[in-house]
Amino acid sequence: MDTMPIERNNSTVKELLTITFIAVLFLIVTGCTSNSKSLSPDELETMAQGIDKGLMCPVCPSETIDQSQVQIAKQMQIIVREKLAEGSSRDTIFQFFTDRYGARILAEPPKSGFNLLVWVMPPMALLVGSGILIMIILAMRREHHGEAPKKLPAASADIEPYLSAVDQEIRRLTQWSTSNNAKDLPPPQSAKGNVE
Amino acid sequence: MADLGNISLLLSLVLGIYSGTVSMLGVWQRSPQLLQSARNATYLTPVALGVATAGLIGAFVSNDFQVEYVAAHSNLAMDTQYIWVAFYAGNEGSLLFIAFALSIMSALFIFFSSRTIQASLPHINLVLMIVLMFFVAVMIFLANPFARLDTIPLDGQGINPLLRHPGMFIHPPMLMTGLITFTVPFAIAMGALLSGKTGDEWVDSGRTWGIIAWTILGAGTLLGMWWAYTILGWGGYWAWDPVENSSFMPWIVITAFIHSIMVQKRRGMFRMWNLALIIIAFGFAQFGMFINRGGPVPSVHSFGQSTLGWIFLLFMGVTMVSSFAVFFMRYNSLKSARPLESALSREAAFLVNNFLFLTIAFVTLWGVIYPLISDIFQGQIITVGAPFFNQVIGPLFLMVIFLMGIAPFIPWRHATWLNLRSALMMPVVSAIAVAVILVLSGITKPWAVIAFGLCALVVAGILREWVRGALSRHKRGENYPVAFARLIAGNRPRYGGYVAHLAIVLLALGIAGSSFYEVQKDIVLSPGASTDVGDYTIKYIGADALERADRTEAKAHVQVFRGDDFLGNYYPQRDFYPSFNMASTKAAIRSTPIEDLYIIPGEFLEDGRAVFRIHINPLVMWMWVAGPLLFLGVIVALWPQRAMTTTYANTPKDETEASSAIGTK
Repeated sequence: MDTMPIERNNSTVKELLTITFIAVLFLIVTGCTSNSKSLSPDELETMAQGIDKGLMCPVCPSETIDQSQVQIAKQMQIIVREKLAEGSSRDTIFQFFTDRYGARILAEPPKSGFNLLVWVMPPMALLVGSGILIMIILAMRREHHGEAPKKLPAASADIEPYLSAVDQEIRRLTQWSTSNNAKDLPPPQSAKGNVE
Repeated sequence: MADLGNISLLLSLVLGIYSGTVSMLGVWQRSPQLLQSARNATYLTPVALGVATAGLIGAFVSNDFQVEYVAAHSNLAMDTQYIWVAFYAGNEGSLLFIAFALSIMSALFIFFSSRTIQASLPHINLVLMIVLMFFVAVMIFLANPFARLDTIPLDGQGINPLLRHPGMFIHPPMLMTGLITFTVPFAIAMGALLSGKTGDEWVDSGRTWGIIAWTILGAGTLLGMWWAYTILGWGGYWAWDPVENSSFMPWIVITAFIHSIMVQKRRGMFRMWNLALIIIAFGFAQFGMFINRGGPVPSVHSFGQSTLGWIFLLFMGVTMVSSFAVFFMRYNSLKSARPLESALSREAAFLVNNFLFLTIAFVTLWGVIYPLISDIFQGQIITVGAPFFNQVIGPLFLMVIFLMGIAPFIPWRHATWLNLRSALMMPVVSAIAVAVILVLSGITKPWAVIAFGLCALVVAGILREWVRGALSRHKRGENYPVAFARLIAGNRPRYGGYVAHLAIVLLALGIAGSSFYEVQKDIVLSPGASTDVGDYTIKYIGADALERADRTEAKAHVQVFRGDDFLGNYYPQRDFYPSFNMASTKAAIRSTPIEDLYIIPGEFLEDGRAVFRIHINPLVMWMWVAGPLLFLGVIVALWPQRAMTTTYANTPKDETEASSAIGTK
């Protein structure tokens, strides 16, 4: 009655791979899941606090049992400590509460099944976004190398002739350098002095 | 009183509609008189809404419980000073507050508007009035703060105990004002689009008001964190609650905006992008107001809940669709003045900055709405709480700090690896040195070491530039303080930004310190007993209980020792409100630059024992120092600079090396 079997068997290799992928990406340091019998009371308490922070209070909106001050949260904290003392692991305890209250009792969605989506999306957004960003930067650069200089706004009309001279100079230098090595663009100071 | 309020509300509706209509008529007729008349009407809206505000406050003062809102948020026992809090504690009152704030901001903006945006001012005014009228109309037709009850109750229900705290006097109004102030930069941008003045005329005003909104919302958020830390009694300051997220997201997007607008200011680039960004920021601000007003997600902050959420969602949808419609109509006039010259340039770094900030905002949004997605697609109710955001947003923030450490030193237009190396060598070495020292001294958690190292990178880079600049001025005969002051004054947007960056570093220090090295202990103590936490010894002396009209105040007396040193008496307090069945705690905090000792009283048991939660929160004090510093940075950045015509940074030179070191003169 004390420990629930952990249902890990059904997780496919693919799922595991994805989990590892996320883990690597964010270096998630999950709490220790080993048998806790060898731990000192202080270590047990630290573990218990970690678990408290991962369980939502079932009756109060958006507070963990660690934060909440209502009675049921206190009782759940006691259950967490009892189970840890009996030797249950972090996962077993989470499973115990999930079986009773459903997945919403967990402060973070489980990293399995449909809920993998919530975890996979952020790194995907970062990757896809980076790709788009690189494409934008490249496109903007190509525009620079391909097109004639644009008209400047009226505000800077007084320095316009100067600017176009500088731009032409730079373009000449850049074109010269792209045939050799773009990194070694000669210091652009050669395009004369300072505007201010 | 209530009648006066009602009449003023109607009056402000008339004024707003008049102002918006007449300013368009004025443009159409090319009539300065009409435009002036519209302006005057805008100036009068804060007067009308001010009278309405006074009317509601008057109803509170006179305990007019026939007014439903007063009956619901006040009672006879309430201290007078809490009337201000009760005023915006509920939905209707906060709407009135928001409308009043927006009308003031609109009037201020129009009064101080610069010459460069006069041509689009009527359009800006129109947008401001449309938003303002939305709020006024919602009040008049759906959530009237002056609505009356049929029967007059003898006493009101009283104010939520969690709101009775000094922080509550400033935090919620600042958040509301901050969110609604997003309307001004948004209106400036939309005015530019509508009037076809899509060049760089709007940039200075847009930047100024973007920074103002950013500051108010940021300060409000910080105050909220401080409030949570000192009163909510769980030793933390940020819980990634949906309501917190809903002020965090617009703040992040407008942070991106106030960075990228600099590129347009200096280089005439990213025109389209800046407009899109401010529209998105305003969208997030509206989303925030929607979540606050009975959105679909549960929150600890649901003080002003109502069923009005969907009206706000509708308004948000309409605004976004119409804004982007206008945006695409003007699409062709939004080309950059010049192209991006190199992927290794300040411009490109700003793009990366914007990308990171937007990713943070949208990932947060994703976490906020995922419970709905889960409910719809798998029929499972799911919580997306703090652990998710810490794991996902944390690394993104570290990337932001990394960028903050290097981007300011990448020159405009085109950088070479050579000048990058010379600018970054010292900061990078310092960062690595700090990381090594930390590891050697026992700070070994990888994420903490990375975070502190990145903080060192930022600080070293900024100090390097300041020291070099001041030194080179000193060589020309100025003494050090003058040299430094003139250096800062020489390029205020840049160095104000640096001060703000330093404040962000302080925030990061506090967050990293308290999230990686927090110690927590729950303990039951009988009077006279003591317990050890870290190297502190906490001794519980006893408790006093004081019966008040609406609450029981229990004040514990504890003494704190370190070794044999007596560090002081502390009095954590817990107030219990029987009518709400709610308790609010006042933590006793011993704050030092190294760490806070934080004592919260839990329950006081029948037998005289008391439950305490004791935290040691490293470095948290720096987070509260960050607030004033951030403010200082904003003042420096916004201080009007003489002859501030839009000058493009066309010096191909590395400006960190040359111009800024001597101060651009």
